[in-house]
Formats: sequence, C-alpha cells, structure tokens
Amino acid sequence: MQTAVIEFHGVTKTYYKPFRKGGIAAVSDISFEVSPGEVCAFLGPNGAGKTTSINMLMGFLFSDSGEIRVFGYPPGDVRAKAQIGFLPENFAFYRYLTGPKLLRFHLALAGKIPSLAGPLIGNLIAKVRLLGYESLKITKYSRGMVQRIGIAQALLNDPQLLVLDEPTSGLDPAGRKEVLDLLVALKSAGKTVFLSSHILPEVEQICDRVVIIDRGRLVRAGRMSEMLSTGDRIEIVVDRLSAELEQWAIQSGATIERSLLGIRIAIAAGLKRQAMESLWSAGCDIISLTPLKSTLEELFLQLVDHGKEPA
Amino acid sequence: MKIRAIALNTFVSLVHNKIIILFSAIFVAVILLMMTPLLAYKAMATRETASEVQSMAIGLVGVIMSIVSGFGSWLSAWAGADAVWSEMKSGTILAVMARPVRRWEFLLGKYLGVQMLMCTYVVCMFALSYLLSSMGGAKIHSSPWVLLVYPLVRYAAYSAIAMLLVMFMHPVVAFAVVLVISTLASIVPPWTGAIPLGPMWFRKILYAVLPSTHLLSEARFLTITQAQLKTVAWTSHLIALAYGLDYALVILLLAMWVFSSRSLLRD
Repeated sequence: MQTAVIEFHGVTKTYYKPFRKGGIAAVSDISFEVSPGEVCAFLGPNGAGKTTSINMLMGFLFSDSGEIRVFGYPPGDVRAKAQIGFLPENFAFYRYLTGPKLLRFHLALAGKIPSLAGPLIGNLIAKVRLLGYESLKITKYSRGMVQRIGIAQALLNDPQLLVLDEPTSGLDPAGRKEVLDLLVALKSAGKTVFLSSHILPEVEQICDRVVIIDRGRLVRAGRMSEMLSTGDRIEIVVDRLSAELEQWAIQSGATIERSLLGIRIAIAAGLKRQAMESLWSAGCDIISLTPLKSTLEELFLQLVDHGKEPA
Repeated sequence: MKIRAIALNTFVSLVHNKIIILFSAIFVAVILLMMTPLLAYKAMATRETASEVQSMAIGLVGVIMSIVSGFGSWLSAWAGADAVWSEMKSGTILAVMARPVRRWEFLLGKYLGVQMLMCTYVVCMFALSYLLSSMGGAKIHSSPWVLLVYPLVRYAAYSAIAMLLVMFMHPVVAFAVVLVISTLASIVPPWTGAIPLGPMWFRKILYAVLPSTHLLSEARFLTITQAQLKTVAWTSHLIALAYGLDYALVILLLAMWVFSSRSLLRD
C-alpha cells in the first residue's frame, strides 16, 4: 500500500489574541488524505482556514492538536521539504533581486550549486514566459509576472509534491490557462498537487480529489468523480411546449428555461420515460436529452454556508 | 551552502534597508560636520598655539570615535532586530522556509549576515579612526586587531540580544530595549558608583546578566590622547573576547530555541 503524501488527522488550530478571552478556531478537527499522483483541490470560502491549514502543512504554524504528516514526516522536516515545491498565497520577493537571481538563491537553499544550474534556470524562466525580463528587478514586475516567477521557484528542484495557494491569482486568462496546462503536465508526470483556488470550473477540469472546508471544519472530502455524481436529473430540450405539459412538468418538480436553442426542461431522472412519452404524444420535437451532472461550483455553493453565522 | 546563501542575502538585504541607509546618511553627515572644526583647528594652528590646538583636536577625535562606536551599537541592534522581522513582515520567509532549511540554519544565516554588515562597519570605523588620529596629529600605536575584533564581538552580543527580543516584540521596541541594555551595561559595573543604581547586590546581578561593555570595549586598550595601546597579556585579550563570544552564543542559542517553536507568520 502506498503511503499518503499528505495526511491530516484531527487537526485543530486556534488563534489566541493577548488580553482577549477565548480564541478564534481557525481549523477544527480536520482529517483527510492525499495519495501520490493525485491533484487535490482544497476549497473553501475566504476565512475558511485554507491558508492556516497550508501553513501548518508547510510547518510554518504548529497545530494545537491532531497530527499532520507529509511523505510520512512531520511538517517542516527537511526530508519532506526537499520534495515540496511551494507557492504562497501572496508570493513575496526580495525587491533587489532579479528573477534569475531569486531562482539561484532558492537553488542554493535547496542545497544545489547555483552556478551549475544555468540551463535549468533558463528553462524555468522560459516556461513561465519571463524571457527577456532577466535583468529586470522583481519589484518592477507586474502582479502576473510576480506570480509566474513564484511558480518558477516552486518548480525548482523537480518537486514530488506541489503545494499551491491560489496559483492563478493575478493572472490574466492566458496566464491562467498556462498554469492549468502546467498542472495537467505535472499530473501526467505523476506529481502530487495540492492547490487552493476560488476558480472552481478550472479546478474541476484537472482535480482528482476535493477537500472542502468551511469555518475551519471539514465539509466534504473525496474523489471528484464520486462527489459530482450523475443520474438524479436529466435535461430535455424541445422546440415547443404546450401549457398543459408545462403545468405537469412544473408540478413534477421540473425547471423550465426558454432560450434561442429551445426549451430546456430539467426533470428528475425517474420521470424520464413518462416525460418523453408525453412530449412525443403532444407532437413536440425533442432536440436533445442529456443526463445532468452537478458542477463543482454547484456542489460548493450547496455545501458552504455563505455569510451565515454558525449556530 | 544554505547558511552562506541566507547570510549573503541578509547582508544584501540590510545594505538595501531604507532605515539603515537613512541612519548611515545621518551618521556620515554628523561625522562630516564634526570634522569641520577639527580641520579648522588644524588650519588655525600656529607655532605658538600648536600644542593647545592639538590637544583640542585630539579631544574632538575622541568624541567622534565614541560616536562612531555608539552608532555601531545602534546599527547592530537594528540590523539584528530587523533581519528576521522584515522577512516575517514581508512574507519572504515562507518561500525560504519551504525549502529544506532548518529553522536554526535560517537564524544562523541571518545572524551571520548581520555580522557581515557589522564587519564592514568595523572596517570603516577602523579606517576612520586612523584617518582622524592622523588628522588630529596623533599616532595609534596599537595592534590593529584590537580595534577590529573588540567592537565586532561587542556588536555580535548586541545583535544576538536584538534577535532574541524580536521573537517576542516589535523590532522598534527590541531596538530600544537593546539600547537601554547597552546603556545600563556601561554604567552598571560595581566599581563605577557615580550613578546610583540601587544596592550593590542588585548592581552585581545586573553586571552578571548584562553584556559587559566595559570588558568588550577597545577603549580599555587605547588612550586617545596618547593613542597608544596599553600593554596587556594576550591571555587577557583571549578571556575578554571569549566572554563576549560566549555571551553572544548563549543569546543566539536562546533565540534559536525560541524560533524553533515560533509561528513564522507576523503576529
């Protein structure tokens, strides 16, 4: 059996402020695992505890209780960190360094000899589309360029696990697509990716596993294919719909939308045969019939309690 | 390799630090201003007034050298406090500590970076001492290493204290505390009773706890008026310097211990 790359077992973290009674629970009793080669999305609304969890995973913060293991080691262990590429939420940089100098510095931190890594740095700079900006100090970079150099530093040292906190933040659509393509390439290369993002349709395309947290608590964790199950609703598109049939459909719990392409009826899968027969009998032309698949965004909105105070 | 990279990066970062640049600019301006009367004295000297002008000039050189030495204490305290805090404030520490770097390696690298800055400062201070002495008509008859190593060890102790304090407080407060400590340390020796600091037992405790600036002062071996090194056995130097390094090491280890269990995020 393969050891999980990331393991969270009953992890709790509370922030305490001096001179204040009680604390703020950032993360409460969270447990999940990420297997090797998986791309895992770590989702939650703002303030859900995602960054706190990632900071604990990286060993920047210590949990109050519970256990975290990365490659079987405790967070912060250099044996684990040697296999991790990390991109923080807001990638901070040394203002006086250029992109290649920053990468050389990080290579030295990884225990490599930077002077021997010219081609590697050149390739990474090219990969993140920063060729031609080698002599420009990072302080003069745009937000997207900073994010790209951050991604380049995360890819240094060919990591087995990539921990990316909002990797597409600050990027234009083309930049976002490049990051997604990169993630797909990493997935094909068998790397494990643990990323937090707010752009759910993009996450849905590439992730194998989803972990959703809200108010510091685990709401749902599992494989994407299992979570976005199909089969409970179908969509029938017809050219016309009589008033009687519309009445029946609404009473059966269907939703009806009219568009230029036709009338879309979303109805429970159990009523498929009855609905089809009624539509045929009424002389409607059925343009299409598709099983409705819930999206990650729908699931997320369904699970997460936006703005409501906890009971 | 990792510690060296962090030390070099810290040094470059401190050289680019706006507060350090500002302080240094003010310091250079003050030194230049104070050199003006020194040059004026020299220019005014006639055969009759030569010895009087020379003694005034040497007095001024002594004051300037004290200021230079005092500024070194400020610089070491601020650099020590800011080196770690600025990384936490900006968040650059996160990408650094995500690398296979142990916390003690990071802190040691930071500390060595601060010492690189202080080395540069001490070398400049040394050159200035010789320059001023020659301008003031005196000669320094001393082993140069005393003027180099003693301040360096003293500053090493101050920066270690600042690094420890910044684990618990804002760097400005840590900086101020180090200054208070350095001032206290200079007036606390039990044999200097000019400033009332409570009963003798209290003074003795303070003297034991605070870094002995008296012991680590190069001024012990240098009389500016004569600009000559007092003859002291090498074992005496060894003991004094070992004391300073030991003090700095203990404080640095304490800082490393605190840092090992501290959040890397700004509180």
